[in-house]
Amino acid sequence: MKAANRLGEVAGRLLPQVPQDRLAWLAALLTMVELLLLPFVIHLDGKPHADWEQFLGRFHPLAVHLPIGLLLLVPVLELMGEMRPALREAAGFVLMLACAAAIGSLALGFLLAHGGGESGAMVTRHMWGAIALSVGLLLCLLARPSWYSGTVRFAYPATLAFSLVALIWTADQGGSITHGGSYLTQYMPAPMKRLFGHAEADSGSFYATQIHPILDANCISCHGAGKTEGGLRLDSFSALMQGGKDGAVITPGKPEKSLLLERVTLPSTDKHAMPADGRTPLKPLQIEWIRAWIQQGASPTVAILTGISLPQKRKEPPPQPVGDWSALMPQIRAMQKGLGAKLVPMSSNPSDGLVLQTADNPSSFGDAQLAQLQLFAPYIVEAELGRTAVTDACFDTLAKFMNLRALHLEDTAVSGAALAKLKPLSQLVYLNLSGTKITQASLAPLSSMSNLHHIYLFNTPAQPAADTTSVQSASGNSR
Amino acid sequence: MKQHPLCTDCECEPNVMDLPVPSGLKREWATIETRRNFLGRSGKVLGWAALASLLGERGLKGDAHAADVPNAAGATARQDLLLPNFAPKAKRAIYLFMSGGPAQMDLWDYKPHLASLYDKDLPDSVRGNQQLTGMTTGQARFPIAPSHWTFKQYGQTGTFVSDLLPYTSKMVDDLAIVKSTNTDAINHEPAIMLMNTGNMNAGKPCLGSWLAYGLGSMNDNLPTFIVLQTKLNWKENNQPVSSRLWSSGFLSSEYAGVGLRSGGDPVLFLSDPAGVDRNVRRKMLDAVEEINRQTLAEIGDPETNARIAQYEMAYRMQSSVPELVDMSKEPQSTWDLYGPDAKEPGTFAYNCLLARRMAERGVRFTQIYKRGWDMHDNVTGLMPMLCGETDRGCYALVTDLKRRGLLDDTLVIWAGEFGRTVYSQGGLSHENYGRDHHPRCYTTWMAGGGVRPGITFGETDDYSYNVVKDPVHVRDFNATILHCLGIDHNKLTFKFQGLDQKLTGPVPASVVQGLLA
Repeated sequence: MKAANRLGEVAGRLLPQVPQDRLAWLAALLTMVELLLLPFVIHLDGKPHADWEQFLGRFHPLAVHLPIGLLLLVPVLELMGEMRPALREAAGFVLMLACAAAIGSLALGFLLAHGGGESGAMVTRHMWGAIALSVGLLLCLLARPSWYSGTVRFAYPATLAFSLVALIWTADQGGSITHGGSYLTQYMPAPMKRLFGHAEADSGSFYATQIHPILDANCISCHGAGKTEGGLRLDSFSALMQGGKDGAVITPGKPEKSLLLERVTLPSTDKHAMPADGRTPLKPLQIEWIRAWIQQGASPTVAILTGISLPQKRKEPPPQPVGDWSALMPQIRAMQKGLGAKLVPMSSNPSDGLVLQTADNPSSFGDAQLAQLQLFAPYIVEAELGRTAVTDACFDTLAKFMNLRALHLEDTAVSGAALAKLKPLSQLVYLNLSGTKITQASLAPLSSMSNLHHIYLFNTPAQPAADTTSVQSASGNSR
Repeated sequence: MKQHPLCTDCECEPNVMDLPVPSGLKREWATIETRRNFLGRSGKVLGWAALASLLGERGLKGDAHAADVPNAAGATARQDLLLPNFAPKAKRAIYLFMSGGPAQMDLWDYKPHLASLYDKDLPDSVRGNQQLTGMTTGQARFPIAPSHWTFKQYGQTGTFVSDLLPYTSKMVDDLAIVKSTNTDAINHEPAIMLMNTGNMNAGKPCLGSWLAYGLGSMNDNLPTFIVLQTKLNWKENNQPVSSRLWSSGFLSSEYAGVGLRSGGDPVLFLSDPAGVDRNVRRKMLDAVEEINRQTLAEIGDPETNARIAQYEMAYRMQSSVPELVDMSKEPQSTWDLYGPDAKEPGTFAYNCLLARRMAERGVRFTQIYKRGWDMHDNVTGLMPMLCGETDRGCYALVTDLKRRGLLDDTLVIWAGEFGRTVYSQGGLSHENYGRDHHPRCYTTWMAGGGVRPGITFGETDDYSYNVVKDPVHVRDFNATILHCLGIDHNKLTFKFQGLDQKLTGPVPASVVQGLLA
């Protein structure tokens, strides 16, 4: 009872006593009602309307800075007015200008959205923010005289504070529409980002290694820093999660409710299909990955998704330098004359090693000839013994080629019984056994050689059945 | 009395150095004289080539201890080039040359948007200031001819390929497809010269010769650089392909491509004639060599060395070529893969199989020419014919190399000299159209050693007329090929006409990093 009495008392003091001022009150209240009803009377239906609306509307981004500046000036003037009363008198006038400018900008903005057929969550939020701001400013105008005269002290500061908060929020929404949601945070220092909860994806995560590259290659030419169609940016994890004018594009755990997935799976004839304008659609596999990633929580950190096997990108070990063999040149030369084989440098850098070539006369190069190369063993990185006369005995010598990376034994008589002797060759990456009598069983000892990724078994008993004529898949004969 | 410089009096020898000629010319004569004397003294060694192999890569720099370093890549490469510059990804290359200019928008460059623009005029803004050939300058309009064929997505990469390539489309995941290749020339001869030699004018060495010169041979019994021509199909519009394209230009003619014949014996007179056995042949060649050496000593023309080397190569080829072309030991899986065409010498499929066999035997560079892609009219009639001849061979070659473990260090290149226009040359109907030459963009592909598999590089505009992203000029294309083979294109040079000549020419070229594995 007491509180109600007090409220009535305050309202009585707020209300003006002079008849002209009552008229102003009426006008302000009427404007507020009109502003609040506007979106219900004229719908933002997402369809473009008259060109003149857009013509005028496009001045909105320009005009909008006027009320911002003016409104920010008001509290400054009010506070400075403590010292210089003239400034406080000016504050009232500036507030009136700010209010007029805000309503004007709102009108232009509405024309822009209505004329250009803009709709969607972000535009709607921006609009309601602007309406709240305008209403707040009108209330400021109404509350200020009684604050100035000292009758009601709290109403004006409260409405002004409300207006300032509404201003900041609305401006942020507007900025997100034009520049994209992550414009401000993009270059934020990482510790600060964590503080604000703007998580960025881990570098080894599924997002960073698979999803981001897909978006990067297909989407960011229109949804990136340069061009931000629909207020949507896809060039960072936070921007992706923030969404665009139509709201979030990713709903973690719910691929069917994720706009991004919906758009990329539309038939290319649909005008909403993405990537737009006849650009190459995403590949089925990529869509599958995006779906699985959303389904399993759209996490920025998870590295492995269940049910998704990525093509294994193996890191081949960097070639080990083999040392300088230049001092052995006289011996190499003598060997080349006698054996009919060549030892040629891999490149102009001696430590890249030597390649053993036997193509000149393969049939006369056998185990005995190979055994004579022991002196050069540490420097030989590649042995081309394909189509030579070597047999299983060659593995005794080859076991000493400790820097060997590639071994060609295709179309030779090796049977595989002694393949285990290759085990010490830790650098071996490539082993070609095509056209030999190697069996699957004899390959078992090789499974412990971690760097040996390329084993070729074409035309051998060890060859997996049914791929004699068909193409091998990407993994094919290599493990 | 002073003798006239050219007086033929036997008492005093004439001396051209006394002639009133510019001193610069005399200096040049003097250097020739020195080289002549030097070669004369080189006596028993097999000319430059053998000398080089004895001296080794540091020999020419005067390092006595290292004088025996073997050449990085066989006997005949220039030692002071220090090649390969870095460890190569590919040791050899096979170049499938589609002479005439395949139409990119009918094979690779998918433009679904064009279907709605049938018979509309190509906008002037797209055509820009592009020079036209004499065949279409008179045309009143440039009506857009959408591709007659449908495109589908293939492989894990989902690459769009036309229905014309049912086989090649199966291996898109192995290819690096370059949609933005572009050239400067609009007519066949300059364009094909530019593609092969880096210059529109004849006289420069081609890619294969540069490789032979720079990297040398891996098998002394076979040529380093072999050219295979595909038998002509007279229904197609065949543009001439001449030996200028595999010429060694200003390099020694040892480095020129050796053409194998497309019909009958691959090399004529391979067998010794009746009554001449290997010994007699050897003695005859030794005698010829002796005579050639005398000529070399007298005249000092390095081409004499090339002649000596070529006689020797021919002798060795007498035994190596019959083995090379004997396909009787090929397993059934080979014929299943390459198809029935491969049994007939001279077909594209046969040449592809031969190229695989040469890769196994250490031939550094093989170039297969397929003519007939010049489709000024009747695209819908010719395209299936050409693709039918080449599609399976391309697929079989890459697949065969891959399953045999050879694709790891073999680079396969598929390219023509330019592309074709999106607008129709001559009449356009729903059934047929023609396409003129187009230099601004065309599609090529590479596969194998050093190249990133399963990518499409570069983009063209909606009309497949201009490159809009990542252009790859011919010189960049060639620089990239050299890079895969361990060569810095700026370092493989030869001094000629006062310039350090190189394959990529004087305009700076760049290796296309996006294509590299």
